Amino acid sequence: MKNKMIFSEFFRNNGVVMGSLLMGLVGFWLIFLVILPQLSMLDFSFRFNLPPADVGGPKDVYTLSNYQHLLYGSDATHQTYNTVDLWVFVKTIVAAMAVTIFNIFLCYPLAYFLGQSKGSGFVRLLVVLLIIPYWINEILRAFALRIIFGDSGLLNEALMFLHLTREPIDFIRQDIALYAGLGYAYILLMLFPMYNVIESLDRNQIEAARDMGASWPRIHRRIVIPHAKPGIVSGATMVFMLSAGALAAPQILGGPSSLWFTQLVYQWFFNSLNWHQGAAYAIVLLVSTIIIVLTVMRIFKVNMGDIGK
Amino acid sequence: MSSKALIRISLGVYLIIFFSYLLGPLVVMSLTAFNSSGFPSVSPWACFTYEWFNVLWNDSAIREGIFYSVIIGLGTVALSVSMGLAASIVLTQVWAKFRSTYYTLIIAPILVPGVVLGISTLVFWDRLGNFLGAGDGSMLSNLFHNGIFLTILGQSSFIASYAMLVFVARLQRFDPGLTEAALDLGATHTQAFRKILLPFMRPAIASASVLAFLASFENYNTTTFTIVDYKTLTTVLAQKVRLGINPSISALAFIIITLTVFAALAFEAYRRNQARQEAVKQGKAKAKSGGILPSFMTGNPAAIVFVLLAFVAIVVIGTAQKYSPEQCKIQVREAKQAEIQRRIKELQEQRLIKSQSEARQGPDIFGAPEEEDTGGKPSGAFGGVFAPGNLSDDADADQPEAEKPSGGSGAFGGVFAPTNLDNDEGN
Repeated sequence: MKNKMIFSEFFRNNGVVMGSLLMGLVGFWLIFLVILPQLSMLDFSFRFNLPPADVGGPKDVYTLSNYQHLLYGSDATHQTYNTVDLWVFVKTIVAAMAVTIFNIFLCYPLAYFLGQSKGSGFVRLLVVLLIIPYWINEILRAFALRIIFGDSGLLNEALMFLHLTREPIDFIRQDIALYAGLGYAYILLMLFPMYNVIESLDRNQIEAARDMGASWPRIHRRIVIPHAKPGIVSGATMVFMLSAGALAAPQILGGPSSLWFTQLVYQWFFNSLNWHQGAAYAIVLLVSTIIIVLTVMRIFKVNMGDIGK
Repeated sequence: MSSKALIRISLGVYLIIFFSYLLGPLVVMSLTAFNSSGFPSVSPWACFTYEWFNVLWNDSAIREGIFYSVIIGLGTVALSVSMGLAASIVLTQVWAKFRSTYYTLIIAPILVPGVVLGISTLVFWDRLGNFLGAGDGSMLSNLFHNGIFLTILGQSSFIASYAMLVFVARLQRFDPGLTEAALDLGATHTQAFRKILLPFMRPAIASASVLAFLASFENYNTTTFTIVDYKTLTTVLAQKVRLGINPSISALAFIIITLTVFAALAFEAYRRNQARQEAVKQGKAKAKSGGILPSFMTGNPAAIVFVLLAFVAIVVIGTAQKYSPEQCKIQVREAKQAEIQRRIKELQEQRLIKSQSEARQGPDIFGAPEEEDTGGKPSGAFGGVFAPGNLSDDADADQPEAEKPSGGSGAFGGVFAPTNLDNDEGN
């Protein structure tokens, strides 16, 4: 992509010292911290898990077996499917989508309210209140929810006190705590992008639509949502990717029998000590989430450049 | 008019729901830090206590974790802020056709799951070490398998993107004419960068550093793979929370929440003070003098709240040294014992009735007096109390405990299991 001319122009603009410093830092980041590690992991996932002595030897050849394991399990004849792992995978993706949609609906009214009522002290207070949970550790937030959702947690105590239920409800085993925890963990990453775009919407547009007799739902459908689309998609992308890739919340809030896909990766690494298999699972997670995000962006006609604004 | 009122009411209800979802769990967790019950809970409330802060203070794993978290945080700040700054400057100069590809590349690490970043960092440096022929025990091999080194690299790979976003926002307001002017006047590129661009970027560098440090400090997904045999605060916490929880973690959470609140208030107060001084400078507002409050607090509710909270905190810390909940704890223990005795009696009566009815071979018409009130708890419940699952994580205050009563029958076996007592001995 870059040819010599671009480089020489770059160095002319920045001087040799600054130019090479800038290029060096960006190059180190992109090549040594992003691109090469990902490629290395990809390559790694196509190899057998060999004892150190055999690495690089004649047995060290490429294989699809790590990926086949996700599909067929340890069945070498490929007759039966690895239903356990595949089910975990599907559940992770679907649940992450559900969490994302839940967050969109929960955040939109607040983002609209904050974005359109400018400058009052009350709104500043709300924003400060929002920032506080944002900086509390992810693990501590999951821990907080565990206190609430536990067997003798606050929620069960309250339900039984109100005589709504006689036996404590097992929120943990039924994964309710997990979904609440995932929604809770990343809700602000949905709110802030939405808030930023809605804040930039000219209030006069809404006034004009209202003067012309548009109803509230129509104003939102035709004016606010189209304007806020980049923010909504950007927030949704972050929430989806982070929920699908979450590890702390499922470990703390997940039931003992249900797993999250990242937990499978974790188990391959730390319980089975099979890094190759873990890398293959991680690649599957990465590729499938990226495909989903790109598809959604294509459908809603949003560019990558809108992310992070 | 009534529809407007309806909107206002539903908005209010919605705001209350949203903020209780957001803040409620944090408040509950903070409260559990002060309950003497061995399992973090707010109800039943046993005694008000500060003991969990002592437990926390004496926990060497957490202190070690904080130490390494800070080291890694500082390393990550240095690396990711400089990479992010360089990337944002390059973004303003990069060839237009290449710009969107470049932007995708530098923003992508934010979207890659942290687990993937951690694994790829671990795998890559391991293989690079092998490729360079670094044998086991050589310096290079030690470096490439060092948890701190790997974690700094793994975290920087995506935190640099956050920093980059902060810098891009600031750079948009930079006038490149200033740098050109400096160059025309004979400054070298390095001088122009140091004297023109860097001072302009200073606020952004400060906020990016804070952001990067906090992001590094609270990262778990990447760290758990790259940390190898070291510990950070988050990995220590995760381990503790998974293995069994006690309120000293709540105490830590309370400290972090308090610090966050102070920082947010201080920042808000500072911002308002700046805005007010700006207004005074422009002659829009009068500089108030006199009055009861010092000048920086006038018209600045955040500053007032900040000072009040700081005062409360000092008073609380002062009294915490003297306060002792021993009396209360004894009472709670006695109440528990009474409760146990009562339950034993109940159970014995139940058994008596049962054996009588069995002796008569009649139907169990008496049933078991299970619906007896025990203060809103499931007293049905003997079943529940003896269930094995209950004992493992639930040894909280409403479980019978303390020494084995003389009249106790074999049926109590499980209740007095050692795990149960362990948790309560701290009380």
